[in-house]
Amino acid sequence: MKKGLVIIGAGIIGVMTALNLVEKGYRDIVIVEKKYPGSGGSFRCATGIRASFTSLEHVELMKRSIQLWPLLSEKYNIPYARHGYVWLFTREEDLEMFRCIVDFHNKNGVPTRIVSPEEIAELVPTIKTDQLVGGVYDPLAGKASCFKALLNPLAYILRKGVKLVESTTVYKVLIESGRARGVLTDKGVIEADKVLVAAGYGSKKILRESIGVDLGLRNIPKHALITEGYQGVFKPLLIDWETSSYIVQVLHGGFLIGSSLPEEPDKPPRSRLKYPVKAVNVWIRYFPWLAYTNIMRYWTGYYVMTPDHHPLIGPLSTVENLYIATGFSGHGFMMSPAVGEVMANYILGEKPNVPLVEHLLPDRIIKGRLVKEIAVFG
Amino acid sequence: MDPRKVIICRCENVTLADLEEAIEKGYRDLESLKRYLRIGMGPCQGMHCLLFTAKYLARRLGKSVEEVYLPRNRVPLNPVPARYFIRRDWREMTG
Repeated sequence: MKKGLVIIGAGIIGVMTALNLVEKGYRDIVIVEKKYPGSGGSFRCATGIRASFTSLEHVELMKRSIQLWPLLSEKYNIPYARHGYVWLFTREEDLEMFRCIVDFHNKNGVPTRIVSPEEIAELVPTIKTDQLVGGVYDPLAGKASCFKALLNPLAYILRKGVKLVESTTVYKVLIESGRARGVLTDKGVIEADKVLVAAGYGSKKILRESIGVDLGLRNIPKHALITEGYQGVFKPLLIDWETSSYIVQVLHGGFLIGSSLPEEPDKPPRSRLKYPVKAVNVWIRYFPWLAYTNIMRYWTGYYVMTPDHHPLIGPLSTVENLYIATGFSGHGFMMSPAVGEVMANYILGEKPNVPLVEHLLPDRIIKGRLVKEIAVFG
Repeated sequence: MDPRKVIICRCENVTLADLEEAIEKGYRDLESLKRYLRIGMGPCQGMHCLLFTAKYLARRLGKSVEEVYLPRNRVPLNPVPARYFIRRDWREMTG
């Protein structure tokens, strides 16, 4: 098989990139997937979407994403709602720190604001606010269905002629005189003019095997559970800052709770039985009725972290026609519309639509020029 | 029998007509059908619908049931009330 572009990984990043290319008339694409579409982080994610980050790179990328989410939602029938985020603080010093962050947001077009416990009670029906000193509300934030966000655009691009090869592992990118020329898989070689590595943590091994470069990715185990579906109780996604946990009533009605436990990077999670204990006890302090919900499913996933918690997006300077989009550090789903757009720009030889993403080129890891971001939750 | 009246997933209220439509749209493996239709994502965790769908899909696509493999079941297999996990020492326990 000879193609224009091979995308390694049928996660949300690979699919959104292919979608943008198809919409610009570029269809000579094959997506190679190790298991099935969405089987890595995309289908395990919390589905939250926000621009309230603490670096300008993240803020600009996410502002573009939030412009695109409603358009995608309408075009591809993806459930999406701008239901907001509320950060909850039990300690005065955390609220103080966030005053500066809110200033930073407001200066850069993100309309967050400090809210009192009384305002939180209005935004979040049934919440007990007696331990709270305050919070931060981000009305621009929201949530979407991670299943439909991937499956519907995928079905569309497959109809337009994009090929999907499932249950196929890519071993390495084939390189000839400094240019990518295809990939070697467990089922043979796929030749192509260009290669995009969007394989999450798997990108690390592929790039090590191909060009001997270590992207510095770490796979951090994370835990999540969801209750049975209920009628709408509260709309925003809530973050308990003190315990780094979140709860969101997903659009289908279940309460999804995510949190971290002490785990070793790059290894499977171990503290499985402890997880529901943490999830339930953190959140019944705010919602006593949660005790009477039924926990339906519990799963684990990974945040693919980079040394500076910012994604690696763009071409590599050392190999022609080789592109990377990985290391989203827990934010790949929310960023995927904007990332798909800028990756399509790069692949077609255009300037990225969000200029600041040029700070996120993968070369920065190799050269040691890192970007700063502190807000990673769950 | 009218496929619109054959319920294949009682938790999520999915009919045989929905399944046929999804297969026509190109969702041809259980993992995608599960996410697209939500079969197997309700309280029964797929104990009824997924087996039925696997058999139906295999017959429809001329494959064996093994080939249209079953998605992994997640714990707990039956819904568990959250109150069973309430503990006074949860902070010490969960680090």
